Amino acid sequence: MMFFKGQVKKITELTFNQYCLLLENLQAAKKAVPGQFLHIRIREGLAPFLRRPFSIAGTSPREGTVSVIFRIVGEGTAMLSHLQPGENLDCLGPLGSGFETIDKAACSVLIAGGIGAAPLLFLARKLTDEKKKVFLFYGASTASELIPLKKYLPSEVEIHWATEDGSAGYEGLVTGLFVKALKKGLKPEEIFACGPRPMLQALALKNDQWNFPLQLSLEERMACGIGACQGCALKTKSGDEIGYRMVCRDGPVFHSYEVVW
Amino acid sequence: MQNMQVELGPLKLKNPVLAASGTFGFGEEFSSFFDLHELGALVVNGITLKPKQGNPPPRVVETPAGMLNAIGLQNPGLDVFLADELPRLKNCRAAIIVNIAGETEDDYVILARELSTTEGICAIELNLSCPNVKKGGILFGTAAHTIDKLVTKVRKASNLPLIVKLSPNVTDIAELARAAENGGADILSLINTLRGMVIDTAGRRPFLGNITGGLSGPAVRPVAVRAVYEVYRAVSIPIIGMGGIVNVQDALQFFMAGAQAVAVGTASFVDPFAIPRLIAGLHSYLESQNIVGINEIVGAAHSF
Repeated sequence: MMFFKGQVKKITELTFNQYCLLLENLQAAKKAVPGQFLHIRIREGLAPFLRRPFSIAGTSPREGTVSVIFRIVGEGTAMLSHLQPGENLDCLGPLGSGFETIDKAACSVLIAGGIGAAPLLFLARKLTDEKKKVFLFYGASTASELIPLKKYLPSEVEIHWATEDGSAGYEGLVTGLFVKALKKGLKPEEIFACGPRPMLQALALKNDQWNFPLQLSLEERMACGIGACQGCALKTKSGDEIGYRMVCRDGPVFHSYEVVW
Repeated sequence: MQNMQVELGPLKLKNPVLAASGTFGFGEEFSSFFDLHELGALVVNGITLKPKQGNPPPRVVETPAGMLNAIGLQNPGLDVFLADELPRLKNCRAAIIVNIAGETEDDYVILARELSTTEGICAIELNLSCPNVKKGGILFGTAAHTIDKLVTKVRKASNLPLIVKLSPNVTDIAELARAAENGGADILSLINTLRGMVIDTAGRRPFLGNITGGLSGPAVRPVAVRAVYEVYRAVSIPIIGMGGIVNVQDALQFFMAGAQAVAVGTASFVDPFAIPRLIAGLHSYLESQNIVGINEIVGAAHSF
């Protein structure tokens, strides 16, 4: 656990309403693992009042930078998009647990819905470093919302696109695209997914039959980010025991079999 | 030399800044940011006799200058608290106050009795004001006779300093404060959160899983200052004031309204260092104003 001032190096508009924020902080860049997040105070003062959590989309330990990718959904994220290089952001992190990759897996699948691509970009690099064959299934509602991910990914990653309106790639949900690939013979040995809750739920339920090792990165409204407020509750099961665990401290990555929908 | 110590009736604290119940867990999360020994006291999360799962999500939502929460007293229950959390807390050398919540009068009595025979606890805070549980909590805290009766029973069960935490969701908080004093409370804590609600307009439904939640943060501060001001006039026992305190100026308002100590809650969610910053800031304030101890300004706003 740590806190730091991250200096804004660059803010890039990736596609309409979606941005990449590059922050400079050597320690965070060295320490972060895929799946973790930063809890960012967008500005001092009362609006916005609380911090906002953002998945880490990548790091460069050599350059001492950490990047997050975000979508404007309200006042806080709109303010974030207007920050200027050189400004300092009060950050907590890297927080939470990371994805657990399986050593002996040779074929890894990433399934991303919308802005949920962020932590998977970071993970893709780790997986290719582990010499695995990596497939990314990435969906959005329409072509203009698809982030051009290629330049943020190692070239070996095979990307498959889906849009709900068919304006680019497969027409339909990204889960449908993935099912199609399975039928064509794709044999994932580990799957990692992040995206809207209905997408994750659909995947988790289908996986009850497939039984792939599946990890999900979840999201919930969060206040403190460190487990104290008990706000970001997620219903989970462990054996016969059902209860609430905290997305910030116990997650945000959970095994599919732990989550109660 | 400035003296930060305060005496709240039988409760002596090294400084007048407490971590408010429900916002500081059992301290563990914050212990990696600063030494909990710096706290005036740590009021731990509300403890119930049996473990409590808490409410379905979403449990929190930001509001203008504050937030709503509906955690629902999620806690591991008394036994696990005593076995696992308390020993670890004692190692932090923080002054520990245990907030207790019951569904029945007997729950409160049993909790108070058990805690009184436990080493390392410096006071009990009776939660008569949680707005987010269906049984108990605020149900005991909105009528003078039920407060008086419950506090009287708990008083008999425990010799620890007894704090009663009151709700602002009432017609006349001063009347309830008098009832708590009459029942034998040593100290009053005010305020708990204000009941509120946010609607998810896209989904056309209440935003929180619990439908309603408790409002906290700077948004509630004027309500809290007013409550402290009114209660100070009504009772002679000390008051711990809280509600939206972020900085020294905020805390001073509470002292001047009549609080002898303050608690910081929601601010710790935004800034984990909120409490040590406030303690240091208060010390500098006393020094710069040549004030020997906080008591010099307690209730100052009543004699202008």
